[in-house]
Amino acid sequence: MAEIRRESILGLDNIRLDLPVAGLGSRSLAAFLDYIGLGIVAAVWIVGVIVVAGWLVPGSTAVLVITSLFLLEWGYFALQEILGGGRTLGKRLLKLRVVTAEGGAAAAGPLLIRNLVRDVDLFCGPLLMAIDPLSRRLGDRLAGTLVVHDRERETAPVLGRVPPGWGARELAVVESFLARAGTLGDPAVAREMAERILARIRRDAPEFLTGVDPGLDPAGDPVAAVRQALQAEEA
Amino acid sequence: MDYARFIRLRRPLWEAFEAELAATRGSLRKAGYESLEDMALHYRQVLHDHALAAARFPGTAAARRLQSLAIEGTRRLTGEGRQRPAGLRTFFSRTFPLAFQRQLGLLGVVVALFLLAVVWGLTVTALRPAVGLAFLGPEAARGLEEGQLWTHSLVTTVPPAVSSSRIATNNISVALTAWTGGVLAGLVPLYVVLLNGLMLGAILGVTMHYSMAGDLLEFISAHGLLELTLILVSAAAGLALGRALVAAGDRPRATALREASRDSLAVLLGCVPWFVVLALVEVFVSPSPEVSAGVKLILGIALEVAFLALALRPIPLESTPEPRP
Repeated sequence: MAEIRRESILGLDNIRLDLPVAGLGSRSLAAFLDYIGLGIVAAVWIVGVIVVAGWLVPGSTAVLVITSLFLLEWGYFALQEILGGGRTLGKRLLKLRVVTAEGGAAAAGPLLIRNLVRDVDLFCGPLLMAIDPLSRRLGDRLAGTLVVHDRERETAPVLGRVPPGWGARELAVVESFLARAGTLGDPAVAREMAERILARIRRDAPEFLTGVDPGLDPAGDPVAAVRQALQAEEA
Repeated sequence: MDYARFIRLRRPLWEAFEAELAATRGSLRKAGYESLEDMALHYRQVLHDHALAAARFPGTAAARRLQSLAIEGTRRLTGEGRQRPAGLRTFFSRTFPLAFQRQLGLLGVVVALFLLAVVWGLTVTALRPAVGLAFLGPEAARGLEEGQLWTHSLVTTVPPAVSSSRIATNNISVALTAWTGGVLAGLVPLYVVLLNGLMLGAILGVTMHYSMAGDLLEFISAHGLLELTLILVSAAAGLALGRALVAAGDRPRATALREASRDSLAVLLGCVPWFVVLALVEVFVSPSPEVSAGVKLILGIALEVAFLALALRPIPLESTPEPRP
């Protein structure tokens, strides 16, 4: 998974929030998918109107085509974002979402504003996004919005007890290992890493390994031993 | 506080907040007032835990989990998107008039520029009628020589319903373009104002040259006044964006633009329904020989007065509730 760029904003109580800001690439791709969607909707709509309206209410075809093309041109993106909580079809596919500059939910007004200037942004938007740390196009600046990655919530395992002297770096490495141990391609690599961690535990907190140390049993699973030793909560 | 103790003490709170977020996934309105209060309290606590974890235990699973919880909580609980939007009645009785009245200065500038352009077009065409004919095109010029206005074709060549939808969408597109073009330092709305003024002056000059100005004024009397007013109002709204960009004052440009865009969008949206009404008038009333010139003029004035009465109505200041002791 590609590393997501994070930019800091100040949230409630001046607490820093590192928003996963969507860059030029993912936003352009989402826009491309949206324009394909717009083309399909417009084509289906026109054919549908010609067939259905021409048969049901003869004479209304031209009016319906003119009006609906106008509404699609100005409202396709805005309506999707307003009804979809800041997401269009392309943004849903790429897991992006429009939020306010403070990270909150954007209201209908700003969503409408950012989409009304879309035509101007087709010319100057990419340049503005490329030079702005928050990747805002003109519409975002007008509306006070940002586009962020809308990823699933983190559910990595956390440690229940920590050997004395371990800092945030060691903790992060071990937690990351426990989260990914099952997906490592080569079980020997996982085993080797787990044994290294067990060695550190044996040095810093041998009491954690009471009853779980696989060193006593050559057939034991060192990854399970690390899990058992560190995820068990202290009494 | 060590990491394990921090997690042991605070994890129940994070899990409670996660459960609350899951329970209100569709809409926050599902939650009652008390649940919402609890949720807001938990959100604040999660935010503080996130700040602590980011400083003391950066990169750990707890820090990452709290970061994603804080971001999701912020999105779900803050921002204007959770507010119930004001209804149409509130919009037209309060939001639109307030925004319109705040923009009157710019509207004055736009009207002055427009009138200058009209006089300019009229003068140029009086001196050289060919300039006015260039605006109309060869077909309309031929029609004038035969004593017929080009407006005749509005309802004779295509069905009225098609004409009216085409006119309405075209006029709204012009208004939207004038507004959105405001972000280009106000150049596009200025262009729209000057071009429309010049064209009106030139066309008036040409029809005067062919002694048909009376017919033209009769044709535009029902819809023209308000249509021009709406175009000028939209251009003034676009100019407000340009002004925010060029002369932001002591605020950051992004803030000035954001503030200007809210008001000017309200003005623009307030104009849209009138364009639809005008398109119907332009197709069904303006070219109709059965409707007398006097009735058309009265209708045109009535529409203008109705729009201005709505836009300029005095708005009382909203009463603010007394703070609770």
